[in-house]
Amino acid sequence: MSGYRRPSGGKVIERGKSITFTFDGKQYFGLAGDTLASALIAGGVSVVGRSFKYHRPRGIVAAGVDEPNALVTVLGDGAREPNIRATEIEIHDGLVCESQNRFPSLDFDMRALNQLGGDALAAGFYYKTFMGPARWPFGGTRTWMAFERQIRRAAGLGRAGTESDTSRYDRVNAHCDTLVVGGGKPGIVQALEAARKRRRVIVCEIDPTLGGYASWSGDPDISAMITQLQAMDNVQILTRTTAWGIYDGNAVAALERVSDHRRDRAPGEARQRMWIIRAGHVALATGAFERPLVFPGNDRPGVMLASAAQRYAAMYGVLPGKRIAIVTNNDSAYTSAIALKARDANVITIIDLRSEVSGGARSIASVAGARLRTGQAVVATAGTGGLDSIQVAPFDHRTRRPTGRSEGISCDCLLMSGGWSPAIHLASHAGGAPRWDDTLKAFLAPEDGRDLSLHGAAAGDFVFGAGLSPAPAPVYEVRAPGKAFVDFQHDVTADDVRLAHREGFHSVEHVKRYTTLGMATDQGKTSSLPGQAILADALGRPLEQVGTTRFRPPFTPVSLGSIAAERFGDLHPERITPIHDWHVKNGARMVAAGHWQRPECYNRWKESVEQAYIREAKTVRRGVGIVDVSTLGKIDIQGPDAAAFLDRVYTNGFARLPVGKSRYGLMLREDGFVFDDGTTWRLAPDRYLMTTTTANAGPVMQHLEYYLNVIWPDIRVHLTSVTDQWAAMAVAGPHSRDVLAAIVIDTDVDNLTLPPMGIVHGRIAEVPVMICRLSFSGERAYEVYCGAHHGAHVWNALIAAGEPWGILPYGLEALGALRIEKGHVTGAEIDGRTTARDLNLDWMLSTKKPFIGSAMMDRLGLVPITRQALVGVVSINGEKFHGGSHIVESANPKKPGPSLGHVTAMCYSPVHDRYIGLALVSSGRARLGARLYATDPVRSASHVPVEIVRHVMVDPSGDRMHG
Amino acid sequence: MAEPFISTPVMAATAQSPIADALLPGEYGNLAIGAQVALSERFGLAICDVCAWPGLETKTANAIKRATGLAVTKRRDAVGEAAQGFQHAPGRWTVIAEDPSLAERLTRAVSANATVVDLAHGRTCLRIAGEAGTSVLAKLFAIDFAEKAFPVAKGLATSHHAVLAQIQRVDAQTFDLLVFRSYARTFFHALTRASEEFGYRIVPPRAGEPET
Repeated sequence: MSGYRRPSGGKVIERGKSITFTFDGKQYFGLAGDTLASALIAGGVSVVGRSFKYHRPRGIVAAGVDEPNALVTVLGDGAREPNIRATEIEIHDGLVCESQNRFPSLDFDMRALNQLGGDALAAGFYYKTFMGPARWPFGGTRTWMAFERQIRRAAGLGRAGTESDTSRYDRVNAHCDTLVVGGGKPGIVQALEAARKRRRVIVCEIDPTLGGYASWSGDPDISAMITQLQAMDNVQILTRTTAWGIYDGNAVAALERVSDHRRDRAPGEARQRMWIIRAGHVALATGAFERPLVFPGNDRPGVMLASAAQRYAAMYGVLPGKRIAIVTNNDSAYTSAIALKARDANVITIIDLRSEVSGGARSIASVAGARLRTGQAVVATAGTGGLDSIQVAPFDHRTRRPTGRSEGISCDCLLMSGGWSPAIHLASHAGGAPRWDDTLKAFLAPEDGRDLSLHGAAAGDFVFGAGLSPAPAPVYEVRAPGKAFVDFQHDVTADDVRLAHREGFHSVEHVKRYTTLGMATDQGKTSSLPGQAILADALGRPLEQVGTTRFRPPFTPVSLGSIAAERFGDLHPERITPIHDWHVKNGARMVAAGHWQRPECYNRWKESVEQAYIREAKTVRRGVGIVDVSTLGKIDIQGPDAAAFLDRVYTNGFARLPVGKSRYGLMLREDGFVFDDGTTWRLAPDRYLMTTTTANAGPVMQHLEYYLNVIWPDIRVHLTSVTDQWAAMAVAGPHSRDVLAAIVIDTDVDNLTLPPMGIVHGRIAEVPVMICRLSFSGERAYEVYCGAHHGAHVWNALIAAGEPWGILPYGLEALGALRIEKGHVTGAEIDGRTTARDLNLDWMLSTKKPFIGSAMMDRLGLVPITRQALVGVVSINGEKFHGGSHIVESANPKKPGPSLGHVTAMCYSPVHDRYIGLALVSSGRARLGARLYATDPVRSASHVPVEIVRHVMVDPSGDRMHG
Repeated sequence: MAEPFISTPVMAATAQSPIADALLPGEYGNLAIGAQVALSERFGLAICDVCAWPGLETKTANAIKRATGLAVTKRRDAVGEAAQGFQHAPGRWTVIAEDPSLAERLTRAVSANATVVDLAHGRTCLRIAGEAGTSVLAKLFAIDFAEKAFPVAKGLATSHHAVLAQIQRVDAQTFDLLVFRSYARTFFHALTRASEEFGYRIVPPRAGEPET
């Protein structure tokens, strides 16, 4: 191809504004408004890429999203984005692109030797060569294992970068009455009509400007229509925006290339934006794709779609060659010929596969100055690095074969037209089967009943000019010796399709997968129908019976960045307590507990986590500590039936709980397993405050709401999440009461006023607080609740009040150590497989009332004493064992024998001065005193002798807690 | 217990906003044509959840009207001088006021027709105003913010991923967003990120509210 820029013309380029860009390390110049493709053609560049499998040189075929060959990698912001169509890249100063799939260079690609492989690389090459039983030394799958890396490197598309993409991507929701996809003339007509009815209209157009085919074919009305549309205040026009998928409820996904066409971005400006548009009505005016013809050498650089050449000439003032030939099976190519002629192109000949053409077509060929050759076909192309000549021969369209000697024609550009395929992709995304139109020789959109309409060429409404017919001849292939490509991007030839048929693949879906026809990044926009026609020929069936593959989203490739879009932190949002900043400021090591950020421990200088939590736990046992428990789930339960409701959801009774007291409660699932636990406080006769575990706050709320709304709708109870309303802090240790007594006013906190599970109201540093005496640590402890906004203030006041007793904050690790010593359960033990009896909580199962799970908790599998039960484990020799270790009987770590259970949690116990843990062990209670082993063969290779003990390892009588 | 527990009004002297450190007055982002969005926190408000018993929704709406002056009905939300109210679920209203006695007044007014829960500390109220406000919100919520679909005073409950949000339109270009206090900081960050391309201004707290 000897492309060049005309001295004038080009609707979208700015003649006076030169742009410098780099392609494969070489500097080129283009004009503002150019695409990379138009600029390269203007620069005389023929070869822009190498083919997928054979590494054949490839040139630009199309002018839009259907381009199969000109895929390049764009380099920028330290990242590399492969497989971007050169036809869609708007050049700007500083743009750097490189070609793909070549080694070492585009002009000299050593992997072009693949072409010597001939038929060995035909369809199914991988399956035939690499699948099957392994034979020495290679053979079958073993060969694949040996050569996979090299094969993947040799065959493929671009290479993605490994650097993180620093670009910004947005996501935005939009709503409208009418969404028009496609800003060509039919789309503009639809948009204007809807807008005049005062509907809210959004128009998505792939290109930077509206107009589409009407613009580059010189429609005299289009400019005024665009101006009119742009002036309407109820119309939003999104250019550079590709609607790529349609989903239920007319939700359309569209990708806007916000700033890809500029070197610099404004602060906060996205590179691309994902639109989710919910439309009352979707009007598809997506146009149509011109099809290539399948003939030997049709992939040579210099062979291009006729409409593409017309578009380059009109929009960019670029002609793809100095001597242009056209080969066609339909009348639309004549329109291209006359349009090119009008822009000074030298169209030397039109080769029409049909033996008869209309008078209108003949007339146009004559005006274009092109010699018309009817009943002939291109049977070969030749050239070095581009196109030098073609061979043309008489042709019988019934046999698809040449019938006489060929004639050479010198030309540097061959334009082809194999008819048109309406772009019905979005219409068929819902799954309906496209309909065959035997006049247009094309598939039209399915009728699936949704509020969606098609317009213009997308609906099969083609107008090519007076005297020209929209109906192509039913011939898509010229069968002559040589490689004739159907799918340019995946190097699938016509012979590959026939081979697949011979090997038993008769469904279009199977042929697609076996040959990879239509599976590349262009998803068969140019190749699907010719391939299906060749298969139909091989099957001896009409094409409409063979059918087409279903179109699926995305219509064009979508960047992963835009799908992830604006989700900084959103996938894992941080949830903070009112005292969060204090924790951070005071050296807490924060960890994620679900969404919550919680202090793991407060490390001192050079202190390990273990050292820190041991110190903190000791402080609680010997003095006083304070821990932030604001993360506990909290549910306000109100209503005249609140007590009855709680009696149903908890295994133990709450109806008789006095106002001003709290009680530990246990919930089961319907199947009898333990669901959650926590304390619930009776604040008034008809009002409770339920606390849940941090992790189960949401599920418990859902559980309760489900029962209220679905199972017991007659119960008068309201639930409200008040987790965030309250800051909560537990003051624990022998001196906890002293601290409170020093700071709390308006109430006493002595044992009489505030006994275990009692609740009082008072104030701390002027702030109203609610204090409940309950303990998770096993020490005397109080939970102080206050309004969350006052949380930090009250926490500081408690810390200050506790100074005389050496109060220290403690984190999750110490909290865990204290509860392990005390034998309290958490999510590690309430793991969905344990019953109340397994956890030694059978004393909480009321026999006086039914409750959720009571009907199922006594079923056969849940009552045997051989079930795994909660026990304590103590390291006998002081050696550390690990959470998750299996409990076994064998002393031999290499033959540990069957697992009796596992360690659910472990810690170093300051009280016992050794490692202890909780474990679920089969027949656990019968094994008290047994000497077993905690084995962890995979992670730590530890095998530690342990003694099975009662799960309550500190203060089993509760004296410390109740004193 | 000393007394039935109704509410804990926010005390300015001791209260701390969860976004205090992020609420730095100034202009940020793309200011090529000035800040098109103003962000602020309405800190210290009284916020209540009022939930009617089935069949008593009208009586509850009337009670809210008596307690606050808001012209709410079963089908209409309201924005008044001193209070705002909207139904975020059938028979369930969020009521906002600057008067710290809101919970008490509502509790008395609704009597046995509904329950009232004080959420003054549990929710953070953010305000977004300006001509690009709806464009920012459209990035975060799949809600139609056109005035025809979302008129002034209308409120609803939705979510931004895991963050539950209640939104009420205060006027043509102003929206109040109520989010869980614990998520407020992360949500405010998302809000500022979404606002950057339009340029945004963080409005300082009013007199009497905690300084940042």
